[in-house]
Parts: sequence; C-alpha cells; structure tokens
Amino acid sequence: MNEKELEIAENIKGMLSKNLRIPEEELDYEIALFGDGIGLDSVDSLEIIACIDSAYGVAMTGVAKEHFYNITSLTKYVVEHM
Amino acid sequence: MAKDISTRCVVTGLGMISAIGNSVDECWENALAGKTGIDKVQSVDTTDCYANLGAEVKCDSLDDIDEAKKVDRVSKLCLKASAEACQDAGLVVNEENAGRVGVIMGSCVGGVVSIENYINNGEKTEDINRMSIASIANHVANYIGAKGVVTNVGNACAAGSISIAYACELIRAGVADAFVVGGADAFASVPFSGFLALHALSEETCSPFNHSNGITLGEGSGAIVVESYEHAMKRNAKIYCDVLSAGISSDAHHITAPRPDGLGQMYAIRTAMERSGLTAKDIGYINAHGTGTAKNDEAEFLSIHTIFDEANDDLTVSSTKAMVGHCLGAAGAIEAVFAIKALTENDIPPTIGYSDEDMEALAEKAGKLDFRPNEMCHKEMTSVMSNSFAFGGSNASIIFSKNPGNMDEVESDEKVYITGIGIVSPLGNGLDNYIEKVKAGITPECTSLEASVGKEDYDKFGVKMAFYRKLDKFSIMQVISGLEALENSGIEITPENAEQLGMIIGTGDGPLTTVYEFQEHISENGTIAGSAFNFPNTVYNAAGGYLSIKTGMRGYNVTVTNGAQAGMSSVCYAYNEIKQNRAKVMLATGTDENSRVMNKLYGQLGMIADSVNETYQGGNGFTLADGSTTITLEEGAYAESHNAKKYAEVAGYAMTHEPIVYGEVNGSEQGLANAIRDAVAMAGISMDDIDAIYGFGNGMKTVDDIECSVYGELFGGTCPVHCIKNITGEGRAAASALTVAHAALVLSGDIQGEQKAYYVNKNEVRTAMVDTSAYKYVLTTSYAVGGSYSAVILKKAE
Repeated sequence: MNEKELEIAENIKGMLSKNLRIPEEELDYEIALFGDGIGLDSVDSLEIIACIDSAYGVAMTGVAKEHFYNITSLTKYVVEHM
Repeated sequence: MAKDISTRCVVTGLGMISAIGNSVDECWENALAGKTGIDKVQSVDTTDCYANLGAEVKCDSLDDIDEAKKVDRVSKLCLKASAEACQDAGLVVNEENAGRVGVIMGSCVGGVVSIENYINNGEKTEDINRMSIASIANHVANYIGAKGVVTNVGNACAAGSISIAYACELIRAGVADAFVVGGADAFASVPFSGFLALHALSEETCSPFNHSNGITLGEGSGAIVVESYEHAMKRNAKIYCDVLSAGISSDAHHITAPRPDGLGQMYAIRTAMERSGLTAKDIGYINAHGTGTAKNDEAEFLSIHTIFDEANDDLTVSSTKAMVGHCLGAAGAIEAVFAIKALTENDIPPTIGYSDEDMEALAEKAGKLDFRPNEMCHKEMTSVMSNSFAFGGSNASIIFSKNPGNMDEVESDEKVYITGIGIVSPLGNGLDNYIEKVKAGITPECTSLEASVGKEDYDKFGVKMAFYRKLDKFSIMQVISGLEALENSGIEITPENAEQLGMIIGTGDGPLTTVYEFQEHISENGTIAGSAFNFPNTVYNAAGGYLSIKTGMRGYNVTVTNGAQAGMSSVCYAYNEIKQNRAKVMLATGTDENSRVMNKLYGQLGMIADSVNETYQGGNGFTLADGSTTITLEEGAYAESHNAKKYAEVAGYAMTHEPIVYGEVNGSEQGLANAIRDAVAMAGISMDDIDAIYGFGNGMKTVDDIECSVYGELFGGTCPVHCIKNITGEGRAAASALTVAHAALVLSGDIQGEQKAYYVNKNEVRTAMVDTSAYKYVLTTSYAVGGSYSAVILKKAE
C-alpha cells in the first residue's frame, strides 16, 4: 500500500473498531471480515457502507461481496472510486 | 384439588387511534374501505432520506383528557384509545373493585419523542420522566383508578399482543378480574432513522406479501378491556368475544431477522391453537404480522402454509399494515382490535396496493390461502388469529373466538423453586463473589456505582467476540448473569427442552442509554445518520433476544418494564408461567444500567445522594448503581430430575398499584400494604409467619418512609428488615431481583449467621444484629416510582 492507501486502511480499521466494537488487536488489514474471520453480518455491512459513504463519498450499496472481504479490499475499492 | 385455569376471558371494550381514524369505528370503516393513512412524514425531518412516508395520527383532541396534558405523545395516544375502550366497556373502577383491575401496555420505543425534546430543546427536567416505556401503563392506571397489576411489555412489535395474553394469564391465575390492555407507540426520529439505516423502509406505501420491499412506519394505540366472563356477566357488560389462548416463543436466531424456517413462529401459532383446544381448521381469519419486508413476509407465509395448507380449506389472511403502517409496539393491539372487529362483524379488511400484475404473483404465493388483496370480504367465522413477530426473535400468536374454546387446563400442583442465581453487580460478577463481598461487609464508597463485564466473563461462559461486540452494556450484563444462572442450576439446553425453557426479563429503564445516544447522534448529524449497528439495541427486549440466541432457549420470552420493581415482578410473572404449564424452567431477571446518561438524568431529577446514605437515616437521595441479576425458577419435579439445588421455594406473590403522580412515591403506602397482604394470602400463611423482610429501602427518605410506615402498620416494628441496597446501591430492577436472590441465599444457608437488620416503625428506627439461620418464611418487597409494588414470599426449601 502507498501512503494514501495506508491512511485510508487505518481509518477504516479505526471505524471498524469504534463503530462495530471490534477490538483493535483482532484486526489487521488481511483478516476476513465476514464468515469465519471477524464474523460480521449483513447489519454490519450496512454500517460499513454508511461510514465509507460519510467519510469518502464512495457509495458501496449493492457492490459485490469480494470488495468487503477485508480492510485491504475495502481500501482498494475506496481508492478506485474516490 | 388442582386450580382450574380455564377461566373464560372476554373482550368487553375496544379503543383505537391510528392514521386512519381517531376511534374504532372510524378506523374500522376506513380499514374495510382500504383507505390508507400513509402520507409524507410531517413529524420527523426526512432530509436526504431515501424514504419519506409514514402513517401519522391526525388528532387535535389528544389533550382533552386531563391525564394526557403533561405526558409523552405515546401516553397521549394510549390514553385516548384506553378511554374509548373503557367507555365502550362501561367499566367503572371504584374503591370496591380497583384492586382487581389492572393495566398492561405494550410499547417498542416508549417516550422517545421526549428524549428528542430533551436533547433538542434545553434538557428540561419535565421530559425525563416521560422517556421510558414504564410510565405508559401508569398514566392509564391513574386515569381509570386501577390498583391491580400495572405493567408494560417491552417486546417491540409483539408487545401489544403479549400484553393481552399476559392479562388473560393473570385473570386465569385468579389475581385479577379485569384489565385495560393494549399497546402504543408514537412516530419518532429514532425508529424512523433506525429502520432507514437498516434499509428496511419502503420507498413507496408498504404492501405486505406483495413486493415486500420494506415497511412503512405508523403510530397509534389499540386498547382492549378484557375481563373474566363472570365479572362481565355480573355487571351486564356487552361481550364482543372470548380471548382464548396465546402462544409466545423466541426464535433464538437473530436480533433483527426472523428464522427463515419459521420454527419459532410456528411454535407460537401451534401453541395458541393447542392451548385454546382448537385445530387449524377452526381458524377463519388470520390478521398477519405482514410487515412488508421480504424476510418477514417469506417466513410468515411459510409458517402459515406449513400449518394450515393441509388442514384448512377456508382460511382468509390479510395484513392491515398497508393502511395503518407498522405501529411497532401498538401493532399487536391495533391488529387485535381489527381481528376482533372482523370476527364480530363478519367482515375482513384487505391488504391494499395490489396491481393486476401483482395479483398473478400473489396467486402463486398464496396458493390455497384466501389472501385478501385490495378489497374486503364478508365471511362468517368462529375464531380468528392475530400474529405479531418482533426484533429479538419474539413471536406471539393469539386467538379470539365467538365460542369459549375447549380449554380445560388446571394449574400445576408442583412447587416452584429457585435453583440458580447469576449476578453482575458493581461488587464484581458471579454468585460466589457476591457471597464473599456480603460476608466481608462491603458498602458503597461513592454515590455512583457501575458494574462491568469483560474478558474474564466472556471466557468463563464461552462468549465469542463476534457475539459480544454486538451488545450494549445493558444486554451484555443480562447475557452474563443469565448464563451464570443457567450454569448454577445445572440446566442443559437441548433441542428437546428448548421450547420448555423461557425467560422474563425485568427492567426499569431498559436500554435508555443506547436510545439516548442514538438520538444524540441523529440530533447532531441528521435522521439519515442513524446507526444500523446500534439500532437493534434500542429495543427493550434486545437483552432477552440475545440471551435466547446465545443459549438456544426458544420458549416463552417477555420483557416487562415497570420501574425498579421490574426485577421482582419478573419473578411473579415467571412463577405464573410454570404454574400454568407453559414452561418447566423460567429465568426471571432484573437488569438496569448506570452510565453517563443515566447519571445525568437521575442527577437532574435530584435522586442521587450528596453522599453515601444508609437506609432509614433520612438521606436526600440514593447511590445510583446497576447490574443484572438472573434467578432460575424450576418446577419441583424438573428440578429433582437433574438434582438441582433448591435455594428456596417461591410461596406467593402479588403486584399492586396505587395511583399517584408518575415519578413520585409519596402517598402510595396503601399499594405496598396491599401487595404484602395479597402475597401473604397467596402463600397461605399469616403475617406472624413472616420471619424477616428483605426490603427496597435505598437511603432516600421519601422511599424509606414508605417502608417504615407500612412495616410499622403491618408488623408493629417487630419484624427485622434487611436492606441489600446498603451493599449494592440502587440498581433498580437489578436490585429488586437481587433482593429475591439474596433472601434465597439466606434461606439456603449460603449467607449465614448474624446480619444487620432494622426494626422500623413510622417514628422509630433501631438496628440490631439478627441470627438469620432459623428463617423459614421471608417477605421480599420492591417499589417503583408512580406507585407500583411487587412482593414475593420465599419459603425455606424442604
């Protein structure tokens, strides 16, 4: 990741920790957010969409699942659509 | 001889206010005509929101009732419907019958309009006592003069139905003759913003079982006078119909979504029919929950098809939410009134919004069901059903009939024992820790105490991060104390017994902190900024829902909220469920939270003491505390089947009300005296048999004085009074449940030896160390602002 991507990834990590009450120590940029990883569900994805929209003006409603896979994929999507 | 619990319960009065009318007649006429009350929302700022429709009440006479002038909008709506129902029933409450008349109201969001007012308009003290659900039934009780059981059900969108069911259970238990029951909710920013965040609002007028692309929120209230047939006949009341039985269950699946396989819904529907002595072919009409979300509509149609397709060729179904919107805690009550009108008028209201194209899709979805789109129909029916399903996986199904049904149940003659205790408190968590701290004589060091739950608790009970991170403090305290109580009683939950295990969650303030913070956030950032993550925790029954999900308990699951006494009234409620054969095991709990928000609100009300006060010393306030206490109650034979330890036997209970201004306690002494007398009578003992009282004194003079006066009058200052709030502070519902748990621990010998006790009279208080080892019968008491009391008698287990 470049500097800008790292900054966004760190912001997303902070948002996941604060808004979805995931302990920071459980999070890294690669861990799977849904399924067997952190175990997020559809309600959490709505919160992620709202936060990313609010922070970066990037709309992720209806976006394919793979972009929500981990912090890295979310960051990549945000960077590409900012 | 076993007590008959098949008492006929009949409906004698109806009241309703909704977006399609300010009376039952107006609402009914418009419902049959398929007129919708849904329009562009006026009372909530919908700027930038993708949906802007709602079903708001248009009524300029809400304040005509004196009692309604200084209350939240939810209570204004409830009073309007209740007044109509009482007038319709010709119910006159007087000194003679007041103790046998009660009020039970359901609500989802309670006084949330007042929370918004408080935050947006200068933090006025007058708004504080209007915030919680707890005040609603109190206002109605004061209006009609009821002195019986006065409480509220907080099971979100199933609350209105459950309130009717609970009233009938209490009438059948013989503790009341008549109730005003129902539900109410007001249109407000918090639910609008929350459902918006969940993308659960429809952009267009909702049309359930049709496109199923979301709900349209509504507001209103439904009220019903339900009484024993004997009581109705004695006063020559007109009778609409019988209320047969209800089925109440929990999905144990997800906090917002119903189980896709409909298992919990079907258990509720089947239980209602079985306990009513009916079969599927007897039901002529179902007023469906039918919200208009894909998940609800699919699960509910699956449930109805599965149960009725083969058994009933003539079942009509509709959802009236297309006209009145989803009125949340009022929905079950409003829809019960519609179901009763359908039954008694032989007319069925439609679900509107179906185009010709939609009709083709409907034909396929409805199959054999006579689903009623767009236009009403006339149909002769004997029995009808109303379904309500809610957040937290809460399900309720209730049956109304022109016939008395075939109920022939008798009360269980098994004794009910306390077999498990779980404690989360500011002293630390766990039963052993509590006993240790009590023995060490710990007392509060400051006037605000907070419990905490952390890694040690999660590890102990195997609660994973993916689960606990979802919960607010209110819910996680409840889950931890609930898990400990189950473990302590040695109950293992299996698919075979899951439906026999239930819970009554008691809370005074519920998730008020989460609701307040949700409102704070949207007040600052707009309705569009609501959090989908936090919204599910704003419903009062979230804690019970999470506990059910974590444990797999799929039986009876109700949240009662009626002030600090809720943790003891949950014991009364749970006891009755076991005696009436709805469960072998019930958890009875009390949970309340202290937080920045609660500290601020109680502080502003002037209730938090300047310094730590001992009870009965004339202090100006109490130590605000929190926590969660869960008590396992078991039927005797079930407890013996797995060699459970019996801490104590529940020998009797009573719940009473003395109409006074909500928020105060002055002048409600008679309510406490009545509760004690009734509980003693139910236990079949005399006042002299009471060895000790575990009371509710919290150091605040106005509260303590009630005890001194009443115990002085009833016991002449000779009965020792123990005060657990000197140990844990005023934990409200957590403390009232802990009072019962503590007394049980004394009877079981887990807390032994000499304990400090007070001998109180109106003008005299003295203390002494008392040997508690010979106690056989103890009385536990609790209070709530607004004049509601619970009393429970415990007996040493044999």
